[in-house]
Amino acid sequence: MLANVNVLLLDYALGSLKRQGGKSVFILIVLSLLIFLLASVLMIADAIKLELNTTLKTLPQITLQRFVAGKQTNVSLSRVDTILAFNGVERVMPRVWGYYYFKPAGVNFSIVGVDAYEEPYKKRLSELTRTFDLLTLEKEGGMIVGEGVKNVLQENYYSDFFNFITPKGERYPLKIAGVFHSDIALESNDLMLVPKQAAYAIFGMSPEEATDIVVHVNNPVEIPTIVQKITERYPDLRAITQDDLRISYQNIFDYKSGFFLSLFIVCVFAFFIVIYDKASALSSEERREIGILKALGWRMSDIVHVKFYESFVMAFSAFITGFCAALFFVYVLQAPLLRSVFIGYSELKPPFRLPFSVDVKMIVLLFFLSVPVYIAATLIPAWKAACLDADEVMR
Amino acid sequence: MIRLHHVYKRFAQGDEAIEALSDVSLEIAQGECVVLRGASGSGKSTLLSLIAGLAQPSSGEIRVLDREISKLPEHLSALFRRAHIGFIFQKFHLIPGLNVEENVIAPLIPANLPLHVLQEKARAKMEALCIASKAKRDVRRLSGGEQQRVAIARALINDPVLILADEPTANLDAKLSTELIEHLYMLKQSGVTLLIATHDPLFFDLAFVDRIIELKNGRIV
Repeated sequence: MLANVNVLLLDYALGSLKRQGGKSVFILIVLSLLIFLLASVLMIADAIKLELNTTLKTLPQITLQRFVAGKQTNVSLSRVDTILAFNGVERVMPRVWGYYYFKPAGVNFSIVGVDAYEEPYKKRLSELTRTFDLLTLEKEGGMIVGEGVKNVLQENYYSDFFNFITPKGERYPLKIAGVFHSDIALESNDLMLVPKQAAYAIFGMSPEEATDIVVHVNNPVEIPTIVQKITERYPDLRAITQDDLRISYQNIFDYKSGFFLSLFIVCVFAFFIVIYDKASALSSEERREIGILKALGWRMSDIVHVKFYESFVMAFSAFITGFCAALFFVYVLQAPLLRSVFIGYSELKPPFRLPFSVDVKMIVLLFFLSVPVYIAATLIPAWKAACLDADEVMR
Repeated sequence: MIRLHHVYKRFAQGDEAIEALSDVSLEIAQGECVVLRGASGSGKSTLLSLIAGLAQPSSGEIRVLDREISKLPEHLSALFRRAHIGFIFQKFHLIPGLNVEENVIAPLIPANLPLHVLQEKARAKMEALCIASKAKRDVRRLSGGEQQRVAIARALINDPVLILADEPTANLDAKLSTELIEHLYMLKQSGVTLLIATHDPLFFDLAFVDRIIELKNGRIV
């Protein structure tokens, strides 16, 4: 097929783009910019979706929270055995967790109590704690912190340990025994994993209580039934299922993707305006040139070939430029400006990285939204002009 | 060589139909030099366009080199033009931004010949017209006379047997017009058939012009 390409026609097309100079550069910049915006929007949406799915997979099947007078309160551990006795319940894990406000930095840390003899309530936490010896941690009064926490503490001269202040006003020092590096940075960045007894002390909780209870069931289909049984037995407990969380996250994502959609529509609209502008008329010089070439013995197909090469080179260059710029912008620069709109505000400013997610379907969609559309928009007026009698076009 | 038989060409202008050519019949033999004389709008350029296959007659028959060019489809009439006809335009119609050599080889670009072959052909034509030294110069930076010579070199690149010249001296001063006539004379000597549409009196007394055909309101008078 390449052997059939008339290199001189291709060369003529490239020369023609060069001759058009400023116009070619302008179109290349506008097209590249639009493809860049489209690609960025799609890449960010994909990355957030991937992150959302990863996060959802780590969420507990059922979380039980106790409410008194409309406010969440601690749950008695005595309920754990009762819930475990329900048919279909596989595991019940009381959680001790909460937030600790660190005034000097004006940030909240998330504290999770872990027990060396208890399996962590979620797989991810299990992976995080596997690399650390929790028994030594309990014995020596240590904790494992996220990178964000470590950085904040270091900025405030706590490089080896941290002094918590309990609700009674007493100091509770814990050594910084380790730092975890999680690829789910959003989740672990502000996290402090502390021994469970330390968590009780820091929060001023009774050791007979838990913040909430996480329930795992054998068969996910039975979740609604088990929830019903639990809430009938304990009416003050509110059950949040993985599906509830999924819907909640999905709503947030949909809301955010609404912004994306708006941007996307604006980009596509702008793209089509440029295309329409390009397609609606050939300049008088271009029409005249077509007429001259016809008079010199060029066939209509030769002219269409040249215009095809011109538009393909232009559109493909813009596609590659825009796409590579979007890759760089989203995954290397982490989409500044756009990112802050969609990831939201966090006091600890977690170093959340948009996970690399480039789908072949997305590349194909982008390609077909840009390259063939532009080629068609350029070829149609050229073909129309080439159909006219040469002397008519030259006049 | 050229045979026109009861050729008509009508254009639509708004609701009106304008007859640019009306019942034109003529024959031109190979190697002949014929001048088409007539005022502006008499139909000279239209006649040349029809003979070159750039437009189709409304009715009638046009044969060039025994081919009925008026019936050839677009791609074949383009190939025919590329193979046998050279066109010299009133306004040169060079392609701005291309240099002299690129303009000269432009008609043969679709022929898919090796570039060096085209360059050799172009060099020969440019040397004959004394513009080889300006081969790489943008045609916009040439004088009117030089541009005319480039246009002639381009018309000759395919070694045509028929040259159609449309008002070739319209944009030239007296000296350059004489120079052009010299070139046309050389072509006539080499056996090329010349059909020159003009109202420039310079052409009416030339010894090498075999015939003058006068057109008036689209008719031969």
